[in-house]
Amino acid sequence: MQESQHEAQTLASLRDFFIAQDGAELEAAVGRLPEDLKSAVPAVPDWDAAEFDFNRFFVGPRILAAPPYASVYLSPEPQVMGEAALEARRIYAALGLQSPFDARLPDDHLSLELDALRIMQGGLSHTPSEPLKELRDCFVHEHLNVWVPLFARRVRMVAPEHTIIRFMADAVERCVESVAESKGRF
Amino acid sequence: MEKERKSMNSSLLSEMSRRSFVKLLTAGGAAAMLHGGLLTPKAFAGPAKTAGGCKAFHSACQRNCYDTCAMLSYVDDGVLKYVEGDKQSTFTNGGLCVKGYSYPRRVYSPDRIKYPMKQIGRGTGNWKRISWEEAIDSICDKILSIKKEDGHLLGLALDKNSGSEGITNCAVIQGLFTGLGYTTRFEGSNCWPAGYDAQYFDFGDMVCNDPEDLANAGYIILWGVNPAWTSIHTMKFIYAAKERGAKVVCIDPVLTQTAAKCDEYLAPKMGTDGALALGMARHILDLGLADRGWVADNALGFPEFEQYLREKVTVQWAAEETGIPAETIARIAEEFAKAKPATAWIGYGLQRHTNGGRAVRSIDALVAMTGNVGKKGGGARYGQEFTWDFEYWPKSKMSPPAGSIGFVNPAKQKPGEPTVYSNRSLNRNQAAREMRKADPKIRMLWVSCSNPMSQYPNRNEMEKMYRGLDMLVVVDQFFTQTAELADIVLPTTTQFEEWQVNVSYWHYWLAINEQCIEPLFEAKPNTVISALVSKRMNELSPGSCTYQQDLTPKECMIRNFNDTIHKLNGISSWEDLLKGPVKAKRNPVSWAEGKFKTPSGKYEFLSAKAAEYGHPALPEYHSRRPNHDKFVILTPHTKFGLHSQFINLDWMRDFNPEPCVYINPNSARSKNIVSGDMVRVYNKFGEVAVKAQVTDNVPEDTLLMYEAWFKNDKFNVQNVLDDAVADMGAYQFGGHRGPAIQEQFANVEKM
Ligand code: SF4
Repeated sequence: MQESQHEAQTLASLRDFFIAQDGAELEAAVGRLPEDLKSAVPAVPDWDAAEFDFNRFFVGPRILAAPPYASVYLSPEPQVMGEAALEARRIYAALGLQSPFDARLPDDHLSLELDALRIMQGGLSHTPSEPLKELRDCFVHEHLNVWVPLFARRVRMVAPEHTIIRFMADAVERCVESVAESKGRF
Repeated sequence: MEKERKSMNSSLLSEMSRRSFVKLLTAGGAAAMLHGGLLTPKAFAGPAKTAGGCKAFHSACQRNCYDTCAMLSYVDDGVLKYVEGDKQSTFTNGGLCVKGYSYPRRVYSPDRIKYPMKQIGRGTGNWKRISWEEAIDSICDKILSIKKEDGHLLGLALDKNSGSEGITNCAVIQGLFTGLGYTTRFEGSNCWPAGYDAQYFDFGDMVCNDPEDLANAGYIILWGVNPAWTSIHTMKFIYAAKERGAKVVCIDPVLTQTAAKCDEYLAPKMGTDGALALGMARHILDLGLADRGWVADNALGFPEFEQYLREKVTVQWAAEETGIPAETIARIAEEFAKAKPATAWIGYGLQRHTNGGRAVRSIDALVAMTGNVGKKGGGARYGQEFTWDFEYWPKSKMSPPAGSIGFVNPAKQKPGEPTVYSNRSLNRNQAAREMRKADPKIRMLWVSCSNPMSQYPNRNEMEKMYRGLDMLVVVDQFFTQTAELADIVLPTTTQFEEWQVNVSYWHYWLAINEQCIEPLFEAKPNTVISALVSKRMNELSPGSCTYQQDLTPKECMIRNFNDTIHKLNGISSWEDLLKGPVKAKRNPVSWAEGKFKTPSGKYEFLSAKAAEYGHPALPEYHSRRPNHDKFVILTPHTKFGLHSQFINLDWMRDFNPEPCVYINPNSARSKNIVSGDMVRVYNKFGEVAVKAQVTDNVPEDTLLMYEAWFKNDKFNVQNVLDDAVADMGAYQFGGHRGPAIQEQFANVEKM
């Protein structure tokens, strides 16, 4: 599989995972991982139970173990809809894109950001553009790759019952890191 | 590390903001990337910043606080940036309390409940996200099945309390429940029923002078109230009076921050405030300082009160009862009677006792006999509700569906006459006891604007009762100890995400609350949630709910205005409030005309109404209930929260990170406890594990823990509170007496 396709598929799968609404959607998202990653996925005996764990970490209604919003990690005081969410909104606007959730879901939700990254990478793989590359680099280096490792560390620290949660958090960290390291590609 | 991070390269971002890559992306073949993704194309409209910076909106704090602050909320790019007090209100005068300033932290807290959720197994913590449709379907199915199985809806109960005091929140959920049929309601008040009834017996109504008029007082007694924490805006009027030469005395068993700022501080033994007031009254009589002219013209029963004082009360007796030296009682009494005008602010602490209503009647009598009622700078101040004459739409206008069967009150049902159905009303101050004996059984409970698990006594019993329900629905912004037990939680909006209108039970201001941001996540206002239930009920069973199905929250708010509100506030329409808050056009001095609303039309030292409700006609003293354990426990309001709200926010946690029990050094020594020790406070009802703080701010016989709900912390003072009720409250609160929550007992030991 081409490197860019592999990356796009990984980003899409991670995006769908972190915004999933139930166990079936979690399972489907994992099923869309590229084969090499999928083969490493830990067994999930009960997707309902994984869903409970997922909600404990990322959805609620209890206090989230690891909120999937950039501004929780990047604001001087953790909050949603902080400056980082507005930065993400401006990045999307620059791309000519917007969140379909308007202001109801903070723009810096992990899944929205992964989608933006996937689109930028896709654009660059087809049409090299210095300004777009600059924007992508800024987004990855100054934003995604700053908070996603903090997020993944939080997931590891709180130790989910279901290893799939940790696996996907690690995967998202690795994926963002690898885009960051591949500066120059595209 | 997180704090050191700078924003993304801002010059690059602003450069990029002027470009759009969408054409490039689509031309380059990335269009396929958009398909099936989350982000969608947008007509490029440039940066979405509000031109000229933040836009200000009118807001109001609705957390059930004396101050009910008129606020301004500043929004930029659709995001609430900061809030401040509205200077147009002379009460708020541009300031908020520390809680108020933290509002953006509340709106944007990562801890908010975000989506409708269903718990698989009550209390398991296993939650599934569900759609609003699924949530409403489950709720409506359950209501219909109760109706089918029981033939009525008395098994469906509502506990809507005062966590969100917007006028529509005061009306919509009850409106929905009436629209469903006759149901069970938890009613009564955890706050003020005993004192409220007392004022009704004495004055025929509960009305206070404008708190801004405190500045005109020559002598102020702050009696069982701690405004330095709970009504900070009133403090400036107290200071203004002080600057003009007034003396301020604080009476409280605890050396509060208010007490520390007063000229004199008296600490009576718990539950003896009535004896103190009566001892003062006797001394005033003895000195011939009673205002006989005023009582002759305006009062009923003063001779009987005088006789009672002469026969049963002495200053020495009051000194023994209260623990305050007789000379002090005599001196304060004399100062109070001679200072013109003098006033007492009666707090909600001293009436939360088994003799609390009587204590308030005694203080009222002290103020009245000195001729300070109906005077500028005077008055026995407790609260007011005359600014609350809204429509309470739709609560007031709803009827149950035709053919609904309800509760038959044997006291009201006349033999041979058609059956009269009503809702069944249970006292929330004895909720566990009432649920246990309820027949028919309560099967489903809806909780909104409330956190009963952290607010109601006898928590362990409460939990058993909640666990026995078929279904518990909790509507809230945060995952409280009540939400932990829910089957379904529904996320609701903060005041910034909905329209509201607010008044205070203390000051005379009226303020509108504009919606200034979109609701976060999937939160919905109570107006919308109620309409969704009604719509689905009617889809599933036509005619099963008479509640509105399609009205916006703003229209609902507008419908609550009426001519009384317009006239009182000097406005012609609700829209006038968009210019700023307004103050009721009413004499700031209550009872100035000397016309009282009692049966006699006079101030009643001797109240036949009180006797009708089983109390002495005179404000006679009655001792509090005997201790059933070693220490008295006090559970007053904290500075950092309003009941169980705010305490969970990060800014509050910076100041108030964990619960404590405050214990006097002598008691601590006897129990081998030092500050920082984890201790167990326990009694026959339950226990709490908590850190000890040794302080001589609390008396030797007392343990103090602030009521609270800390996130991720099991601490709950309600574990050690029983459901004893105050003497009064039944008159104005549908038979439901107030709580005696400041008259509780427990022991303590080091863990
Ligand atoms: S909690 Fe009270 S004092 Fe504080 S902002 Fe709200 S109304 Fe004002």
